[in-house]
Amino acid sequence: MRPRWPLAALGALVAAWPWLAPRYFVFLASVMLVNAVVAIGLNLLSGYTNQLSFGHAGFLAIGAYTAALLTIHAPALPVVVALAAAGVVTAAVGLAFGVPCLRLSGLYLAMATLAFGFVIGEVILNLDALTHGADGLRVPAARLGAWPLATDTARYYLVAAVAALLVAAALNLAHTRTGRALLAIRESEIAAQASGVPVARYKTIAFGVSAFYTGVAGGLFAFVVGFLSPDAFDVFLSVDFVVMIIVGGLGSVPGSIVGAAVVTVLHDSLAAFQGYRPLIFGAILVACMLFMPGGITSAARALARR
Amino acid sequence: MSGAALAHVIVSGLATGCIYALMALSLVIIYNATRTLNFAQGEMLMISTFVAWSVQRALGLPLLVTLLVAVAAAAGLAFALERLVVRRAIGATHWDVLIITLGFSLMLQAGAGLVWTHDQFPFPSFFSNRPVALGPVRMAPASLGIIGASLAIMLTLAALFRWTRLGRAMRAVAQNQRAARLMGISVERVYSLAWVLAAVVGAIAGVLVAPVIFLSSKMGLLVINGFTAAVLGGFGSMPGAVLGGMLLGVLENLAPLYLPTSIRYSVPFVVLIGILLVRPAGLLGRVERRKV
Repeated sequence: MRPRWPLAALGALVAAWPWLAPRYFVFLASVMLVNAVVAIGLNLLSGYTNQLSFGHAGFLAIGAYTAALLTIHAPALPVVVALAAAGVVTAAVGLAFGVPCLRLSGLYLAMATLAFGFVIGEVILNLDALTHGADGLRVPAARLGAWPLATDTARYYLVAAVAALLVAAALNLAHTRTGRALLAIRESEIAAQASGVPVARYKTIAFGVSAFYTGVAGGLFAFVVGFLSPDAFDVFLSVDFVVMIIVGGLGSVPGSIVGAAVVTVLHDSLAAFQGYRPLIFGAILVACMLFMPGGITSAARALARR
Repeated sequence: MSGAALAHVIVSGLATGCIYALMALSLVIIYNATRTLNFAQGEMLMISTFVAWSVQRALGLPLLVTLLVAVAAAAGLAFALERLVVRRAIGATHWDVLIITLGFSLMLQAGAGLVWTHDQFPFPSFFSNRPVALGPVRMAPASLGIIGASLAIMLTLAALFRWTRLGRAMRAVAQNQRAARLMGISVERVYSLAWVLAAVVGAIAGVLVAPVIFLSSKMGLLVINGFTAAVLGGFGSMPGAVLGGMLLGVLENLAPLYLPTSIRYSVPFVVLIGILLVRPAGLLGRVERRKV
């Protein structure tokens, strides 16, 4: 059995964070956790079943707008219901898109998901009666029972609680029948098929679960940021999510979290460098992959083995 | 809409398509040799065009020499990136290399912004602005010139791959790297040459397209259109890349004429998804059956 203390320490740090850090860093931690949830969702799809997606910003947008519109039109709705609805709606879209895409693999799927992301952006832009198009949408504060979650700290705890739940679910997934099937597919799709794993079914499940995670993250994103506009969900955001899981480590839940943390913190701390920001970020990416092929988790594993 | 006007739109669509096709060919050349998707292909095109423009303005060179400068700059940049960085990524997977090329693209774009600012600049054209009348149809010489020059490059590439030792070596590596190595082909040299060749094709495309879309640090976004074209035609297939590029260019130019603004930009993508669902490996691609 693995020692439990690192997990406990991490939990304590997450719980105590708003008392330790200034207000801005509480907000930043919320953004980081939202990104971590997306990265876990994307990793379930790309890391385990080898389906590369450049369209997860589209799924994030669907979740965000679903939660925001529900909260605007039904203000009494508890936040948990809004988030669950965001997840379910996004998962439904993900399945509707994912099933026909089972025929696609590799770059073809990457292209189809890229196109999907573009189309979702255009749809949001043009459904302006509902989404206010390019003007953007203000998201009212989420409500938990009678309390509005109106401060950064309150929103942070909402995000942390949901993220903890989803991380635990992702970690435990490995011990279920579905999880074992996904692991088998990750190791070798052909061998999994030969051992009787219905690959198509589990690839579909992965698509649905991935979209669900991303949809819930989208709902959280809407409440944390408080303002939605279609240009926030462009292809560069989708690329960022892919960067998170490759830099962190493909097919690994801790890797997704580490990757999300690294990318979020880098984007934030490099903001001061303005024009040099992408230059430094790009150089870090190149150096990272040169010296840590396989991402941070595989480098850490190699270090631990020594 | 009259037939003549329609012909005009289709010709300019084909010209756009030729540029997409050249971009797609660059991506496919590197992919076939190294199984790497080069995210930075568009930015490499942008840098070589900027370098050529700067040299042209400083020295007042004729346009043909400017083109040669662009080609030389692109070849040098590609050689350096491949030799100094990509080849050193030992033990890296295709995913890792994908992120490395993404890093290049961010760095090159930011670098161009720092050196040349993020403004747009006019670029001298080989072709005049006066429309040419072919019977009732009036066409822009720039469109015809781009189409002619692109076709010449495509035929040169086809000849190169078919009849030269280098072309045969590149096809061999694309089919089976280990067997190619056993036949005495230096796979490393093929990697280098693939990067250089792809960059040269991109550099020519850059000089051709810069007068039309202006020279700017955003030019690199062409890589998305190139990628779309290559996938549409069947990734890895060169005729497919050309067909995909032309189709995409014509579709993009025709869509605004017949469709309301609200869905104009989505249509090429919806068509793309539709085509992929019917032909999962693109128009001319074959579904690879991997043996265990």
